[in-house]
Amino acid sequence: MTTAATAVQDPQLPGDQPVTAASARQVTKAYGAGETRVTALDAVDVDIQRGRFTAIMGPSGSGKSTLMHCLAGLDTVSEGRIWIGDTEITGLKDKQLTRLRRDKIGFIFQAFNLLPTLNALENITLPMDIAGRRPDAAWLDQVVTTVGLADRLKHRPTQLSGGQQQRVAVARALAARPEIIFGDEPTGNLDSRSGAEVLTFLRRSVDELGQTMVMVTHDPVAASYADRVLFLADGVIVDEMHAPTADSVLERMRRFDGKRTS
Amino acid sequence: MLLKTSLRSFFAHKGRMMLSLMAIVLSVAFVSGTLVFSNTATGTFDKLFATTASDISVQPQQDKVTKGSSEPGKLATVPLATAQKIAALPGVKTAVGEVFTPNATLVNPATDKQVGPTSGAPTITGNWVDTPRNSLEITSGHVPQGPGQIVLDADTAKKAGLGLGSALRVITDSGSYDFAISGIATFKTTNPGAALAFVDTATAQRTLLGSNAYTSVEVYGDGSRSNDQLKADALSALGSGYLVKTAQEQKADNAKGVGSFLDFMKYAMLGFAGISLLVGGFLIINTFSMLVAQRTREIGLLRAIGGSRRQVNRSVLVEALILGVLGSTLGLGAGLGLAVLLIQLMKAVGMNLAGASLEIGWSVPVAAYAVGIVITVLAAWIPARRAGRISPMAALRDHGTPAEARANRIRAVVGLVLTLGGAALLLAAASATKAATGGAYLGYGVVLSLIGFVVLGPLLATTVVRLLGAALPKLFGPSGRLAQRNAMRNPRRTGATAAALMIGLALVTGASVFTSSMVSSTSSQIDKSVGADYIVTSNRALLTPAMVTAAKSTAGLAHLTEQKSLPVILTTPDGATTETSVAAVSPTFTTDFLLPVKTGTAESVNTGGISVDETFAAKHHLSVGDKLAIEYSHGRKQSLAIGLITAKGNSLFDGNFFTAIDTVGKAVPASELPSDVAVFGKAADGTDKGKAQALSALQDSLKAYPQLTVKDQAGYKAIIQGQVNSLLYMIYGLLGLAIVVAVLGVVNTLALSVVERTREIGLLRAIGLSRRQLRRMIRLESVVIAVFGALLGTGLGLAWGITAQRVLSGQGLAILTIPTGTIVVILLASALVGLLAALFPAFRAGRMNVLAAIATD
Repeated sequence: MTTAATAVQDPQLPGDQPVTAASARQVTKAYGAGETRVTALDAVDVDIQRGRFTAIMGPSGSGKSTLMHCLAGLDTVSEGRIWIGDTEITGLKDKQLTRLRRDKIGFIFQAFNLLPTLNALENITLPMDIAGRRPDAAWLDQVVTTVGLADRLKHRPTQLSGGQQQRVAVARALAARPEIIFGDEPTGNLDSRSGAEVLTFLRRSVDELGQTMVMVTHDPVAASYADRVLFLADGVIVDEMHAPTADSVLERMRRFDGKRTS
Repeated sequence: MLLKTSLRSFFAHKGRMMLSLMAIVLSVAFVSGTLVFSNTATGTFDKLFATTASDISVQPQQDKVTKGSSEPGKLATVPLATAQKIAALPGVKTAVGEVFTPNATLVNPATDKQVGPTSGAPTITGNWVDTPRNSLEITSGHVPQGPGQIVLDADTAKKAGLGLGSALRVITDSGSYDFAISGIATFKTTNPGAALAFVDTATAQRTLLGSNAYTSVEVYGDGSRSNDQLKADALSALGSGYLVKTAQEQKADNAKGVGSFLDFMKYAMLGFAGISLLVGGFLIINTFSMLVAQRTREIGLLRAIGGSRRQVNRSVLVEALILGVLGSTLGLGAGLGLAVLLIQLMKAVGMNLAGASLEIGWSVPVAAYAVGIVITVLAAWIPARRAGRISPMAALRDHGTPAEARANRIRAVVGLVLTLGGAALLLAAASATKAATGGAYLGYGVVLSLIGFVVLGPLLATTVVRLLGAALPKLFGPSGRLAQRNAMRNPRRTGATAAALMIGLALVTGASVFTSSMVSSTSSQIDKSVGADYIVTSNRALLTPAMVTAAKSTAGLAHLTEQKSLPVILTTPDGATTETSVAAVSPTFTTDFLLPVKTGTAESVNTGGISVDETFAAKHHLSVGDKLAIEYSHGRKQSLAIGLITAKGNSLFDGNFFTAIDTVGKAVPASELPSDVAVFGKAADGTDKGKAQALSALQDSLKAYPQLTVKDQAGYKAIIQGQVNSLLYMIYGLLGLAIVVAVLGVVNTLALSVVERTREIGLLRAIGLSRRQLRRMIRLESVVIAVFGALLGTGLGLAWGITAQRVLSGQGLAILTIPTGTIVVILLASALVGLLAALFPAFRAGRMNVLAAIATD
């Protein structure tokens, strides 16, 4: 948190010891043209620190999901540049983007994270299967143990509870050792206990495994697990908070709502 | 209220209905097209016959034995005196004597090529007469006058490249006659496909009949009497020995002749329709099952807010009804197009209906809508019932992929019982001693095993696809594994999709096993029992004496064997009479053919005896030495002792009664003996070179008669192969269609699956599955389904074909030949079909926007 005094830093150049896992410069995302033009992101600059847990918050329509999709290479930007590690992804072709997602990025979605035809273990190793890589057995073991799924590996997703399914998704994201993991409301569909469980695993993966994590959420409790929270409103980063607590985030959000409605 | 829901839902899912719609359109088009075509054709011919038939036609009484069909030898005639007597009857305006025969052959002497149709439609040669209702008119040149002139119909002339002044040869029993074309005649209404040639009356009598008489007298009244009165007057004036037909009766006779051909066309086309309907039914079942599955939550909501089971059920059926009505309407339109196409096709084979207007009639739309709607609603019945059973709780449940359909135990039991029953029947058929009972068992066995396989399909899908797909993960990595799992995730759907393909391929395989066994069996019979080197047959009527003489004069032949066929009525000692024909042969026949002896001797055929086959002997309890009472035409009678019973199982001899020409000659005067149906030759020099030389010499001496085919044994086998092949091509054509519809089914299933799995695809793409891998996954799934269907189909078809061969092993199908090449091609082709079917769904899946796919509800 020492280097993260501001949200903006120079992007890492190749050859340097990278401190940022992903960064965006002047990223604008707009839909439509002319009078119907809607700007979802407006010249956003952001750096995601390596080995940190970053949460992106904001009210509905603030552009937080769009920002994550753009950072993750799922969506294209209208203007600006984005780097994952030292690779610039803006301008990449679908084929290269797919490779990048496969090799460098992990995903945890809100729901429907798993293929119903594959069992838990097969789901976990799927990204590596797709890449044609053998999973590192020791690492896989460690991940599976960390998320507490060792006795559920042969189960199909339909045989698992919602919390267990999300833990499988976390394990899948971790197993391939991506540079960065993006979570899109990963606990949005869970009750508070299961949600807390999953968030604990995400926190541990950052602390113990050194994983970089970016999570979009609207839940102050979820955000409190992060090292740093970025607040988005109307496509612009309006604030950030380090070492947040649920109360401080809630407080900030309230203020923010007040400012918006005023 | 629910009607509105159905309508909205139908139009919301119209893309998904497309392929089902196509299947319905296809089936309905075949049904309505066939009906329109046959209505039009029948209508046209009715008009033709109605406008050209005379008021009454006086014909010689038909012989009891020959029934007037394929007159063996001489044509029965009406004497000139009778014609004059008819002309003198009250109320008769004109009585025109006509001379017509279907037995003459037209040849272009410049090329020695036959003129007119070589198969099917007749070539009719006769005298040109002016009647008040001529069906043709001379459109260029003039009517034939004198012994050297002939008129040919325009269509035939055009096809043969002949015109005014061209030479035309007419070959009849009495010899060959050369003419020059003096006129071209054109049909006033419609050409039914025949070739017609006209000479003047005297020439016709001389060349075609050999006597001063007519084959019929056509009477046209002056209007003072009805046709029935004219007929009664004629009958009383002429006494017995004549057949008098009114215009009405002639029309009915003619319509019957054309009708049998049209009926064949009609049934073949309706066969197409039936198959596409059957396969289309599976497609509709699948579509609606998937739609219902996708809408589980929506239906649950309907139920939760108070919709009854019946209402839900009905709302699905209403959607099916809309689909059926739409499909039938489009199909009806397409059917008209098809009818026009068929008419053009008929024109190409010589039946010119082009001038006719389409006759639709009320029956066509009725049939089209009945077929289209009934099949759609029937097929949607099962999914509709399933929709009705969805509980209101479904609305509350988490929305995911639809629950994986589990093949249930009842299905397993029913399917197994049906399949085992079918298998038992097939086994019973294979071991049945009588072909007739075996055939019945085979029929039931085929139906039962087919239904059994359809029912069992989903269960088999789980096991077979697991085995089939086992290699996929190894070969194709993650795409392979995902494809295998996807193919197995909904066995009912996979089963139904594959079933459509299975039906077609089972029929193809069964038919090809049957036909290749037929070819090899017949070939081996020819090897075993034919000693003759050459076989000469005619594609028109008979071999005239002149041809036989020409063949006999060929150098290098050891001998020439003649065979005549005489229609007879046989009376066996048990009192039963059989209408059949006797094969009268030269003495050398027994050296040219090795008659399979059951009891008696082959030699007895040459020494006044007659042979019967084993089946006939058993039926009438005959043994060697029993006498058969034989009645030939013109009332000639003879009693012959059975000298040989031929062993059954040889299609060349089964059902034949062989005796010597000399023996028949004792009862039938030479003037009544028909010409030969075939002659067989043997080369004097038995070496390959000698045989080849004699063959070309024989072909050379018969060059002037293009209607003859001269074949050696290999050529003869090739002809049989060709005949079998043409049968096979028809079956292939029929099944090509079934496969097209089945492909639609695979496309449909995959396309709907892709839609259904949108989120899954989005997820896969998000975590790094490339477009190429995704497309491969879908292609592999498609191939697995197609190959699964093909395996079931070929398996079933093999069982059917082998059983059919066993059933008919006593009927000349002694050798089982499994066309491995064809089967391998079928399996490879089905894999290809799978690849093709996946093209569009894979393309669509690849084009999906990752984000949108993930966000899909």
